[in-house]
Amino acid sequence: MRLTSITGTALAAAMVLSTTLSGTSLASAEEKPESLNVGVFTFMSGPAAAYGMPGRQGAEIMIEQINAAGGIGGVPIKASFVDEAQGAQGVISEYRRLAEAPDTDFMIAALSSGNCLALAPIADQMKMPTVGWNCDTHQLFKDGAHPYFFRPNGNTVAEFMSYVLYFLDKNPNVRRVAIINPDYSFGHDAAEIVKATLAALNPGVKVVAELYPKLGASSYQTEISRLSAARPDVIFSNLWGGDLENFVRQANPRGLFRQSQAVFALGESSMQNVEMPQGAIVGVLGDGWWRSPDAAKRGAPAFGAAYKAKFGQDPVFPAMKMANSFVVMKAAYEKAIAKNGGEWPSKDQVRDALEGLSIDTLTGHVTIRPDHDGIVDQIVGTVTKVDGIDAPVLGSMVRYSGDKVLPPAGDDPVAWISSLTPYFPKDMPKPGSYR
Amino acid sequence: MLQTLIPLFVDALASAALIFFVAVGLTLVFSVLRVLNVAHGSFYSIGAYAAASLGLWIVSAGLPDWLTFPALVLSAAFVALLFGPLVENTLVRWTYGKSDAVQVLVTFGLFLILEDLQKMVFGVQSLYQDTPMSMLGITELGGIVYLNYQLLLIVLAGVVLVALRLFIGHSRTGRLIAAVVADREVSQALGIDTNRMYTIAFTLGVFLAALGGAMATPTSGVSPGLGADTMVLAFAVAAIGGLGQVEGAAIASLIVAVAKVLAIYFAPEFDAVAPYVVMLAVLLVKPYGLFGSPTTRRI
Repeated sequence: MRLTSITGTALAAAMVLSTTLSGTSLASAEEKPESLNVGVFTFMSGPAAAYGMPGRQGAEIMIEQINAAGGIGGVPIKASFVDEAQGAQGVISEYRRLAEAPDTDFMIAALSSGNCLALAPIADQMKMPTVGWNCDTHQLFKDGAHPYFFRPNGNTVAEFMSYVLYFLDKNPNVRRVAIINPDYSFGHDAAEIVKATLAALNPGVKVVAELYPKLGASSYQTEISRLSAARPDVIFSNLWGGDLENFVRQANPRGLFRQSQAVFALGESSMQNVEMPQGAIVGVLGDGWWRSPDAAKRGAPAFGAAYKAKFGQDPVFPAMKMANSFVVMKAAYEKAIAKNGGEWPSKDQVRDALEGLSIDTLTGHVTIRPDHDGIVDQIVGTVTKVDGIDAPVLGSMVRYSGDKVLPPAGDDPVAWISSLTPYFPKDMPKPGSYR
Repeated sequence: MLQTLIPLFVDALASAALIFFVAVGLTLVFSVLRVLNVAHGSFYSIGAYAAASLGLWIVSAGLPDWLTFPALVLSAAFVALLFGPLVENTLVRWTYGKSDAVQVLVTFGLFLILEDLQKMVFGVQSLYQDTPMSMLGITELGGIVYLNYQLLLIVLAGVVLVALRLFIGHSRTGRLIAAVVADREVSQALGIDTNRMYTIAFTLGVFLAALGGAMATPTSGVSPGLGADTMVLAFAVAAIGGLGQVEGAAIASLIVAVAKVLAIYFAPEFDAVAPYVVMLAVLLVKPYGLFGSPTTRRI
């Protein structure tokens, strides 16, 4: 009887141990899937598609190139594209639908800052590793960590501070600045950063007009009159996509850019679609200028050639941002596979691999900080035409080091900017120094 | 002072001109058919797409640039003749005598169908066709450079207002429409083909909306979603002026435009809500709009 009792206890213990061990084994060695399924969110219709479609096209090229080289760990990538033009509620529903599907492995979402703010907590809730391929808002990680959401492209603080550094350096006599940004978080955040940077670096500069036309507005005629009447030395804008193209098309014939120096923060993305004023200050929100000296040493030329062959245009920086997001995803999977002894990783292991990732991208280098923001350099230049290249290019370029213009993790971004002094730019590289 | 007032005045008039085309079409259809046509904004955007497409074709075919001017009006006429009789004879006629809710739901359904139809036909990318604007050049007023095309729009809106008033008051068809508006039953008893009058009035409303869209294309882009924005603004104008009032629509367009322009100049954060704040204020004081009344039926 006693023997029976001991045997029964031992059997039960063995069963529990066996179950526990097999459970551990399942967690660390996922079955290799037939495809690595990725949800990719971008604008594919409406005015914002002028920015969003290059992102999608960049994804297509990267998927083709990665799959042609054998996929990731031998697994080909398969993408499901979601149109962000359907609005935040639709985007959230699509994200949930994809994340709930058992075969979805990874998300690259999203373009819009508003959508990223909405999706980050859902990524945490659904434990879905997600890379924000664009979503620039500095609000994203301001109020707490998002364990499953990573942004390898830096944020609005570094981006818009760089433009102010550039135009103050190029035009030291600037006294009057006007702002025209889209009427949502991205536009208002940018204005706040520009004003804070001006106040810190050159308190004598006055903001003479601040306009926030609706995202997707078709007419800017009244805004153009208002800007003309304000007589600014510099007009700063982070309008983008079709909005930027519309604004430039309508303002050009009215002579607005002959009167004031234009600064188009997202201007490079529209240079091939609309005639940008020569000398307008434009940039790429990061280091994603595919013709930059650093990009030339990496994979950007091959990517650019494939892109032009397929779509008939040079890639613009949204395409490079998307491409670099795929580079990050690939690196995270490869790191996770290596750490897992060559076995296919779980979503949590991929998430872990994204922590602290520091890799070369197609256009430079990215390091993911503990707060999940990526440190990337910022390239700013002016619209220039050169012999031998059909499309306009960036001239008088500068490459600001990412760690110099990104606030330390955990610091309040605007408070950090306000702590800067007029001596801050003295150690920064000058316009034209990046050749 | 004058340096500020002149741009304000010109911007308000130019903005009012475009709003007027759509709002007067909406109010005309309501005054005759007593149907609040939610799909009206779609005809604005279809007119814009048609004008931009035709203009782009004229330029790409190497035809003379001046042809892009008649193309604007012809596009609007084409849209009106294609959609006006078809929509009125089928969907809208079915709603006569039914409740307001049914009319709104049916025309809202039509709006959704037309929005998707536009994406299927014209694609989802923005279209630009600014040849008429480029051809007319610029003028400096109060130190601000304006497009002569903007000034042309102001004149054209005035011409449309006068032409509409002359049509209704002095043409045979216009008088018959006015009679139907005053009393449908008596008009029928007198032998007026009321169904035909409804079709004509609805088609004219579609033409005015499409003309607004077509005339807007040289100074703005055309992309999906244009119809919804325009429709909401047109409703605000029609409500301020009083549904069914042609002159009311003209004055209300100007009021809305002044509100928007003042907001952009002095309080940009209120730009989007300014027209609706004005609408709310007017409706609180005059629930039937500035020129409307609960009993009068006239245009």
